[in-house]
Amino acid sequence: MPLFETCIHDSHVKLGAKMVDFAGWHMPIQYTSIVSEHKSVRERVGIFDVSHMGQIFVSGKDASTFLSYVTTWDMSRLSEGDCRYCHILNEDGQIIDDTIVYTFSSDNYMLVPNASTVTKIFAWFNSKSADFDVVIDNRSDEFFCLAVQGPEALRLLRQYYNLSITPFKLVKSGNIIISGTGYTGENGYEIMGPLSEGLEIWQSFLDMGAIPIGLGARDTLRLEKGYLLSGTDFDGSQTTLESGYSWVIDWSHDFIGKNKLMLQKERGYSPLKGILLEERGVLRPGLPVYFGGEKISKITSGSLSPILKRGIGLSYVDLPVGTSINILIRNKQLKGRVIQTPFL
Amino acid sequence: MSEIPENLSYTEAHEWVNPDEKGGVKVGITDYAQDSLSDVVFVELPNVGDKYQQGEVMAVAESVKAASDIYAPISGKILAINEKLEESPELINESPYGSGWMVLMEPSEDMSALIDAEAYKNSLD
Repeated sequence: MPLFETCIHDSHVKLGAKMVDFAGWHMPIQYTSIVSEHKSVRERVGIFDVSHMGQIFVSGKDASTFLSYVTTWDMSRLSEGDCRYCHILNEDGQIIDDTIVYTFSSDNYMLVPNASTVTKIFAWFNSKSADFDVVIDNRSDEFFCLAVQGPEALRLLRQYYNLSITPFKLVKSGNIIISGTGYTGENGYEIMGPLSEGLEIWQSFLDMGAIPIGLGARDTLRLEKGYLLSGTDFDGSQTTLESGYSWVIDWSHDFIGKNKLMLQKERGYSPLKGILLEERGVLRPGLPVYFGGEKISKITSGSLSPILKRGIGLSYVDLPVGTSINILIRNKQLKGRVIQTPFL
Repeated sequence: MSEIPENLSYTEAHEWVNPDEKGGVKVGITDYAQDSLSDVVFVELPNVGDKYQQGEVMAVAESVKAASDIYAPISGKILAINEKLEESPELINESPYGSGWMVLMEPSEDMSALIDAEAYKNSLD
């Protein structure tokens, strides 16, 4: 099957990016080097093409109650212009995907699920909507999405749109949606709008000095902050509590998966932890984690922090923060420690 | 276009080999290899005195995204390793044929299996 291409695709190729297949999309993994792109975002400002991500619109009289039912958050607590990160769970409380809900009004919302789960989420919502007066519209192929992230990001926003933005709020400029969101832990925002306008905005931000950043650095940037990667840190078998994101749950409302989460809360659970390698090396997904001579878990996400220059990763280990563990890398037991994320 | 110095010998596994006048042989990875790997962030080198057969894994170079095995380009003993790579693995990217060298080997047999610069260049096409 041919790969999907974003409206920025040809510019990536022209810039000399290394392109890869990512969730069915032909996407840039890096333009120059993951380490230098990573540092550009931490120290200056980078721009990411994340147009592969989805846009699902939910509108109608019951939009708020429906979304409160199919996510971990109570939408009645959101006001116009609010963006909220939450999880979409199955009946067993297991994460199907994480997403940000954009509030246009109390009967009009947009969700931005991951590229690999858009179809699944759309089908899931449709299968749960029979008792609600809602229209669910998958408009993922109509939108570009660019993330501008880094200490200088807000200056560029003022320069280009004469706008400012606060975290987890959205503003509109014509048919462009700008939200104070991102996946890097830096100040920044994401810009979404019709495909025909994406390339011009991308080019303008490059001209203002934003550095193009590939998916490689996007991954190391989010890992340093302990942000979850869909399909890797949760693969359909972990609950929101286990993922360590209990703060995305509003317990005061009813939602799919709530009963299982309440049971788990009572019985106790061990959330996802950070693993810091204390010897030289790089953590990788799948590496076995040892404690007391026994294999107890494996690394879900792992890499090397370009800032800390240490191996970092995430793992479902039932051990307190501070515990010394071992990671088996190429038949060698290397020392590591369980730590609380973020790493940085 | 990657740089392929004429005076070195190569393997199709993207290592270069450079005999010195004392009978030792310096080994590293090619410009093409470092560019494919991208940022090398960690290098695991063999111990001095270890012996390898040609084609055995003797080192590992890790980038942010992946780990790559480095094969012994010739059979022989490790005489020295480039200890600077421990603190500065990026030397492999910055100077793959210079300060980014990996090991010095004492060959235990002839090196006729190696290919010259032109053959290596052709193997990349």
